[in-house]
Order: sequence, then C-alpha cells, then structure tokens
Amino acid sequence: MFYYLAQADITSSFSIVALANQLLNGISIVGILLLTGLGLAITFGVMRIINLAHGEFIMLGAYVTFLLQSTFNLDLLLTIPFSFLITATIGALVEVSIIRRLYGRPLETLLATWGLSIVLQGVIKLIFTAQLKYVKAPAYISGNLTFLADAEGSPMIAISYYRLFIVFIALVLLALTSYLLYNTDLGRQVRAVTQNRDMAKCLGVNTSLVDMITFAYGCGLAGVAGTVISSLKSVSPPMGQDYLVDAWMTVVTGGVDKLIGVLAGAFLIGESNAGIAYLLNDPVARVIVLAAVIVLIRYKPEGLFTIQKRS
Amino acid sequence: MTESTIGIVRRSQIPTKLITISGIILVILAILPLILGEFQTSLLSKLLLFGTLAVSLDLVWGYTGILSFAHGVFFTLGGYAMAYYLKLNLSAAGNTYGVDLPDFMVWNGLTELPWFIAPLKFFPIAAIAMVAVPAIFAYLIGEFIFRSKVSGVYITIITLAISSALTTFFISQQAYTGGTNGITDVSRLSILGLEISLNGLYWMILLFTAAVLAASYWLTQSNFGLILRSIKENENRISYLGYDVASFKIFIWTLSAGIAGIAGGLFVPLNRFISPVYLAVAFGTQVVIWVAIGGRGTLIGPVIAAILLGQIQNYAERVTQDWQLVVGILLLIVVVFIPDGLVGTVSKVFKKSY
Repeated sequence: MFYYLAQADITSSFSIVALANQLLNGISIVGILLLTGLGLAITFGVMRIINLAHGEFIMLGAYVTFLLQSTFNLDLLLTIPFSFLITATIGALVEVSIIRRLYGRPLETLLATWGLSIVLQGVIKLIFTAQLKYVKAPAYISGNLTFLADAEGSPMIAISYYRLFIVFIALVLLALTSYLLYNTDLGRQVRAVTQNRDMAKCLGVNTSLVDMITFAYGCGLAGVAGTVISSLKSVSPPMGQDYLVDAWMTVVTGGVDKLIGVLAGAFLIGESNAGIAYLLNDPVARVIVLAAVIVLIRYKPEGLFTIQKRS
Repeated sequence: MTESTIGIVRRSQIPTKLITISGIILVILAILPLILGEFQTSLLSKLLLFGTLAVSLDLVWGYTGILSFAHGVFFTLGGYAMAYYLKLNLSAAGNTYGVDLPDFMVWNGLTELPWFIAPLKFFPIAAIAMVAVPAIFAYLIGEFIFRSKVSGVYITIITLAISSALTTFFISQQAYTGGTNGITDVSRLSILGLEISLNGLYWMILLFTAAVLAASYWLTQSNFGLILRSIKENENRISYLGYDVASFKIFIWTLSAGIAGIAGGLFVPLNRFISPVYLAVAFGTQVVIWVAIGGRGTLIGPVIAAILLGQIQNYAERVTQDWQLVVGILLLIVVVFIPDGLVGTVSKVFKKSY
C-alpha cells in the first residue's frame, strides 16, 4: 500500500518544501509501480492472462534474494539474475501445469491464479515461517540526493539514491522489454500469437512454447521487482498482496496496447496519489485513487493510452 | 439450453419429494442445538450464515455469471449497522464510560454521536439499515458498472478494488468505525426487551437460511431464473431477444447484496464483534471458495461447502497452522479439475447413472 511505501516524513514548516518532498515521494512511488506493473504488462497486457498470483512472484523474488544474502552474503544487485531465473522457472511450471488448461476462460484463470497465490504464500510460510525477514541494500547506494538543505545542513528536499535506483532499474527493464518485444524475432512471434493464435500456428510458430516463454518472462520481471523492493521494508509471505492491487491499477490505467502505457499509468497514479496525500492524507488518497480507477475502468476499460480501434 | 427448458417444465409442478427431504433436514437441524453443546451451536450458526452468504454470491456468480469479491463487503456493511445498534444499546453498566458514546468514539475524541450513526440506536431503523445500506450501495455500483460494456473480468477487478478501498477507508476512519479493531464488546441481542438466547439466535438463523434457500430455489426455477442463466450463457443473444440485460443484472446484484447484509447483521450478535477483517479481499475470497467448491449454480452446494470447510477448519486449526494452504490447494484442484464443484459433480454422476 502506498502509505507503507512512502518515505519517512520530512516535516517542514514551509508548505512548498512539503509539496516538493511529496512530489519526489511520488517519483519513488512511480518507480515501484512501474517495476511491479511491468511483469503484469506482459502476462496481462500481452497475453491477456488474469494473473492474481503476480504479487506472489514478487514475493518469491524477494525470498530468493533473502536466501542468497543470508547464506552466501551476496550483494543485492548480484542476486537479480538468480531471482529472475528462479521465478521465471516457477512461472514456466505454472504455465504448463495450470494456466495452459484454462486459456480462453478468463474467470477460471482468475480463480486458479488466486488459488495459486494462496498456495505460494502457504508454501513459503511453511519453509521460512511467517517471521519478517530483512534484506540489506548495497552500501554504495545509500544516502540522499539533497536539493535543498537548511542552515544546519540537514536535508529539506531530498530523495534517497536507492529510490532513484529503483526508478532507474524500472526504466532499464522497460527499455529492454520493449526491445525484446518490438525488435526481435521472439517478440514478433509473441505479438503474432496474441493477435491471431490460429494463424500464427499455421505459419509454423510453436505457440505453446511462446506462451510458456512469455509467461515465464513476465514472472521473472516480477521476481526482479521483488528483489529490488525487498530492502525497502521487510520480506514476509503476504507482502505480495500489498503490490498486487497497485500493479493491477497501474496496468489497467495505462492500457495494454503499448508497453509504454505502464509508464504513463505508473506516473499518473504515483503522482496523483502523492498530490492528494499532500492535500488530505494517505488512506484517503488511496481511496480516492482507487475510486478514480474504478470510474476509469467503467468508461475506458481499454485504458487511457490506447488507440481507438474498430473491433 | 434445451435441457434447462425441459427442466423448467418438469419442475413447475410442486416438487413433493424435494419439500419432504428438505423438511426432514430442517427438523433435524432444528433439534440439533438441544443435543450439541454451546460451542457447536454457535459454530453451526456462524457456518449457516456463511452458507447463506455463499448462496447470495451463487445467485450472481453461479446463475448470472458475475464473479464478485465484494460480497464480504455487503455482509460487513449489514454487520456494522447491527453492531452500531448493539453498541449503542449497551446498558449503562456495560459501557465503560457510562455515557451514550461508545468507547472507541471517546478514545478518538468525539464528544457527541455523529448524526448518521445516531438513528441506529432504534431497532427498526437498524433492522432496515442492515438490508438497505448494502442493497443501496450495491444498487449504485450496479447502475454504474452494468450499464456499460465492461466485460466480466473487469467487473471482478472492480469488485476487488471496492473491497480494497473500503477496507482502507474503514481502518482510517477510526473515530467512526473503531479502526482495525472494529466494533467490539457489543451487547446481546434483545427484541422487545426479551434477550435472545443462543438457541433462539440459532433458530432465527436457521429460519433465515431456509427462507433464503426456498426463495432462491423459487427464483431460479422461474422464468426469471431462466433469463439469468441465459445471460450467463450468452449475454448478446438474450439482449437481441429484447431483454434489458443490465436491469436483470442490477436486480439480482442488489437482491443478493441485501441477503448478504442480513446475514452480516445476524452474524454480529453471534460473533460479538465486527471488524474490517470481513471487508478485506481475503474474506471475499473465502466466500468465492465456498461457492466454487460447493458447486456453482447449485443452491445447496455452497451451504454444504461452507459448513464442511468450517467444521474441518475448526479441527484442522488445532493440528496445523497452515489451513490456508489446504484451502488454496482445494481451490486450485476444483478450478482445474472439477469445475462443477462437489455437489454439481455428484448430481451429474447421479443423473448419468439413470
């Protein structure tokens, strides 16, 4: 939830300072939304799979990092490839064993992935117990980028480097994913399968393999998101639930036609949340943003940033 | 389609066999609290209410094809209406502060009762609010979402968002709702100055469950029910035939929210508290699971599933901490392998063997 993600309050007498801080806070929320929404933009946006277990793949990524850090004392950045590979593998298994049986039945998929999310939480709880775990952020990405400091030198308008790092990683992954999707053979096949499965099959595309790879990639991205986010707060079995609704709202707001919609959705939700939170308070901001998204789905279920098509 | 049409014609005569069997079951259930202990009676009452809640979801999901995670919300809204009534009618000795104001309002610095809560002190108003608040809320949502071209999956996502938003909202409005703790330590239910015993409450709940089941049976076997099922099968075709699909959906949606609200209202005197736990998506999921496991589109299935799972959970929780894991696995198995649910599958096998 947003108010968990919010940076520690930097109280200030100047409202303009508070506003600037709130907007910077918004930037860090945007980073998290973008990162958590990206995987969903693949599984839902490209494949149209209603994946309610998305939050649990984020959670799995965080646990991979925790495990590697506590046993091998590995740097957080070095655990990223492992958490990508492991969550992607689990994603591939899930696709083959569950999702594949339910293509074309969106409500059943929704239910099955919801069941899967309960199972994954239960299994992780069984292995690691429900206790909160903590992950260390790398020491070289610490401290704040200060825009304005007061007379004693303590920061008044600032954002932590780690939050900027999250935005950076999210943008890099977005660029990489766009490249894969729009400029490679595999990406072309993925889009072909989404647009016309039968025709793609006729032209010799191995559709079931493409499905598996695409879903696994989306889950892998969720795993990376989990790794990067893990050091912000504690790691626990139900942590994915906090990100699930937000990730969904991001993807639905941005629209699923173009990958870049995720960026727009994340920016819109993150900043408006921060703005309203500045005027009112965090829970009210969340309620208002959720209500706004409901209204948006009602009038433009295809999202804000899609080109009108004739169906 | 043809099969269900034939079914209507056949069943339009008075179903003597069904009435006899349900009558016998009803009598057995009515005698049970005299044999069972207090704990079991209380548990069974709760499970009957959960079963009714599941039936209300079944009406919109199993029959009309709208999957909702918001039925816990309607249940809880009815529950809060009743909880305010019971809280405001604590005897002076029962109220920690000896004033008219509930304890959590005193803690949060309120000095007088908010105008929108004050009327709930009177039983008739509370009883109406218990049905009306969730029903009106559902009607407004229904008008808003069903009169658009939004497809089923998006409606489910909207119900998730509603549940999530209301949970946050109720937790944040501590002075009015009691925050995370909700409304606790409510008085016992008494009607016309007569305190209702646990057995009395059980019989009330049993009567309510039976009434909901009977009404739902009548509704789903009528032509109205046939239209609902047609909407689930093929929404476009039924609207080409000239039916206003949105109105049918809004009606059944509102009705089912009202039923859920009453179930919530009856739940509070039994449970003695209500909290945002029942608003949250997790509880909404629980309701969905009862319907899925019991069998969508069977009325008795969800009730059986709620009672069975509740009883198993009661014993399983003494052995293991991981009941949720079991529920998740069950849900996965049912969705992937037995989409008709337990009762649906059994009755299919039963029909085939003849």
